[in-house]
Amino acid sequence: MDSISVKHIEKGKFQVIVILILAILTFLSSVFALGLGSSSNLDMLTVWEIVFYDIYLVLTNLDVVLRNLEYNLLPCIGIGTEECINRSLVYGIEFKGTTIQRSIIYDWRLPRIFTAIIGGIALAVAGALMQGCLGNPLVSPLTLGVASGAALGAALAIVLGFTILSVPELAIVANAFIFSLIVVAIIIQLGKISSISAESYILVGIAITFICGAVVSAMQYFASDAQLSQLAHWSFGSLSRPNMDNIILMALVLIALLPTAIRWSWDLNALSMAGDEFAISTGVNPNKLRKNILVVSALMTSIVIAFTGLIGFVGLAAPHMSRLIVGNDFRKLIPCSGIFGAFLMIFADTLGRTLFAPIVIPVGVMLSIIGGPFFLYLLLKRGA
Amino acid sequence: MSVKDLYFSWGENEVLKGVDLSIKSNEVVSILGINGAGKSTLIKCLNTILKPKKGTIKIIANSEESDDVSLTDVSSLDLVALSRVMSYVPQSVRTSFSMDVFDVVLLGRKPHIKWRISDDDRSKVSETLRYLNLEDFAFRKFDQISGGERQRVIIAKAVAQDPNLFLFDEPTSDLDLKNQIQVMKCIKKLIKDSETPKSALIAIHDINIAARYSDKILLLDNGSVRAFGPPKEVLTEENIADVFSVKSSVELTDEGYIRVLVYDEI
Repeated sequence: MDSISVKHIEKGKFQVIVILILAILTFLSSVFALGLGSSSNLDMLTVWEIVFYDIYLVLTNLDVVLRNLEYNLLPCIGIGTEECINRSLVYGIEFKGTTIQRSIIYDWRLPRIFTAIIGGIALAVAGALMQGCLGNPLVSPLTLGVASGAALGAALAIVLGFTILSVPELAIVANAFIFSLIVVAIIIQLGKISSISAESYILVGIAITFICGAVVSAMQYFASDAQLSQLAHWSFGSLSRPNMDNIILMALVLIALLPTAIRWSWDLNALSMAGDEFAISTGVNPNKLRKNILVVSALMTSIVIAFTGLIGFVGLAAPHMSRLIVGNDFRKLIPCSGIFGAFLMIFADTLGRTLFAPIVIPVGVMLSIIGGPFFLYLLLKRGA
Repeated sequence: MSVKDLYFSWGENEVLKGVDLSIKSNEVVSILGINGAGKSTLIKCLNTILKPKKGTIKIIANSEESDDVSLTDVSSLDLVALSRVMSYVPQSVRTSFSMDVFDVVLLGRKPHIKWRISDDDRSKVSETLRYLNLEDFAFRKFDQISGGERQRVIIAKAVAQDPNLFLFDEPTSDLDLKNQIQVMKCIKKLIKDSETPKSALIAIHDINIAARYSDKILLLDNGSVRAFGPPKEVLTEENIADVFSVKSSVELTDEGYIRVLVYDEI
């Protein structure tokens, strides 16, 4: 083995170790964030005691959990009235902590942290993918107009009461998601034009953003004060909306899409390095790859944004910060961006809900306020 | 490699009008012609970046299983298979996302890699870097080296790809005099040293550099072949006057190379 190869291997190993450290840091900060809050009857140690004791209890009482699962899977007993046994999986286990304490932890803080992690990973990875396949460092998941589509959907639901799904609590979410899917469909149609370039995608995205923005503005003009405030709240981007069912849905979509994206790492390396002709000479079909990547990342973005509202900055900044650590090798850049995104979201959200407690500053606002200057600093330092 | 009756057009505008060409192994062929004669278009057609309207392009594609040396039509190969037999070096490479030089050259191994980088791939890359005197730059960023070095890195990437045919689109156009000679020498050495059959097709503007370093010259005039053969036969005063519309005198140097002196436009 010659010295250059050895150095290359060592450099690769070092980068993997940095990614692992970052992952551990992210995990620790989410544990820390779980304990941090403004509640007066719940300090950090109590939270940890309750959570870790719960994990211990569940692990030592796995037989109880399995029995509950078995009950749930039993067919409904049809005597007189239809009666189904629908038990919680942890039915029969004695837990610590008061109901309020447990509710704060499991209904309030834990969903937030899960949303932060899943949303951070999805938006940051989508950002990295889009920047790579469009060969443009200015691109973020919001560039293609997916988010504007979602905003238009939300505005239609809030202002005009036009909803596609009639379940009240999901009406806005469903509208946002379906309208962002319409934008994804436009992207797919664009991809069928054989000669479409990276710039055209960006320009079409900007056009969509303007059109949707104009319609939303028009609706705001006629909206009542209450509707305006609801719309503003939606567009701030917040982690408090999704419940556990929503989170599982987001996680499933992410788990389904991530491996597909990672499989394209080598192709993306070639395409992002030096554009279409270079990619072709390396055996990559740039148009096909670009279309696939854009659809995958737009889907990732829209499922998260539908539940959380507009969170843009993490998708721009996390990939750039990761590039400073691992370079532009997508085999490492995708995981590193994901972890960085999760870390940024947890950090910003925890700060947002503790800094001026009990006032909660929305995570989208917080991210831009603290992330923006830090991002500028990194860029200027590298440029100097 | 053989090209038969190749036609290409941009809309109504016919760029290539029936080009015939054959390249033997271990041969360096230069394409000369005025701007818009179809030099780059021809090269891009060969690499299927552009789709020709008519005509066939065949190339030796030795499959991994057998040593079969039959000619294969390029349109029957998928892009990965094609990139194993030919490698295109673009005129200039701009990048928004820079990488280490080592990783850029490693991209040349991409058609041979599935996911993991093997030790063979790594040693092939460092071998190539050494061969092109780039080992000092291995861990510099691609956007922080000079234009000549960058051109050599992109050539190194093509070499690491281990193809049978190299396609160069004006490899010397952005370089100073010394770098031009270095790059051409490096291409020549590469083709002559190779144990496996390799050849190079170069689109170029500088007549003297083309004459000095190529085995054959293809003179393109308005989309069709004006002359094809060794420099001495192709680069006559008459041909140059007809194709480039300049007055010139052609002489033979002591080393046996052609030298063209250009005087004035006609």
